[in-house]
Amino acid sequence: MSEPRERVPAPAEARARRLRAPLLVTLWALLAIEAAGGLVISFARLAAGATPGIALHVVAGFALTLAWAAYQWTHWHRVAPWRPRLDYVLGLIGASSMLLALASGFALAPAWWNARDAATAPPYPAGLSGAHNVMSMFVLTFVGAHLFAVLHRAARARI
Amino acid sequence: MAIPAFSIFSAVSELLVTAGVLYVVRRNWTRRTFPFALFLAIALFEGLVNVMYMAGRSAEASAGHPAAAALPVAMKIGFAAHGLLSLLAYMVFVVLGTLAHQEQERGRWFFRERPAMTWSFLVAWTVSIVSGEAIFVLRYLV
Repeated sequence: MSEPRERVPAPAEARARRLRAPLLVTLWALLAIEAAGGLVISFARLAAGATPGIALHVVAGFALTLAWAAYQWTHWHRVAPWRPRLDYVLGLIGASSMLLALASGFALAPAWWNARDAATAPPYPAGLSGAHNVMSMFVLTFVGAHLFAVLHRAARARI
Repeated sequence: MAIPAFSIFSAVSELLVTAGVLYVVRRNWTRRTFPFALFLAIALFEGLVNVMYMAGRSAEASAGHPAAAALPVAMKIGFAAHGLLSLLAYMVFVVLGTLAHQEQERGRWFFRERPAMTWSFLVAWTVSIVSGEAIFVLRYLV
């Protein structure tokens, strides 16, 4: 007598399950915290010379690094090998930007740590700070475009 | 006040980028092939050159650069607001361009079929560019 075979989920069902996976939800939550916090900090720093919530931004940045590294590893092993497609190009730009945004964030963190008890704002190097802002903006733009491209492609395949 | 060469380059290239954005939208609107290579080139150039310039200038202003220390608060708020709006317009351009490219593969014209969204985007883009040029004029020419 043959054993009952395990049901293979349909692609749409599998994708829906992946989108609800705890690691991805954690990653989205941390990215949202970092994006909102980063925008507030960059606006307030320029307009008022203040950096509200910078400690949370740094701590969440460390957590984001761990969550993203874990997610990116599994994501790439699922979608490899490279394909010359729009969603792949956008994903590659998004992942590269994330790497550079996190690296520049780590490079800025010591200035924050050394000046955490000082009354004045930390002396962040302007070039590094600018690069961190731009790479963070690239992350939001290209990760968003990558997600839209993938979901749009999937929706089109269902029609 | 001497105008930094990169500021002039950025102010002029913003206009060229805007011409490129209008060209991309116009081609889609008139049901012609989506210029994907041009779209990607505009997106990367705008991000790596113009937004990098803006972020660098903002960082200088925030870091207590001598010239920036004398800036009026209103202009600093204007810088910050312009930065946020430019970021939003840029993100929307990349996402809409991506969707337009994909829609065209099934013979649909994304911008043409969504006039309200298209015009809203173009207005936001125009405001972000005009505010950037206005800041340049107020900072260096007035």
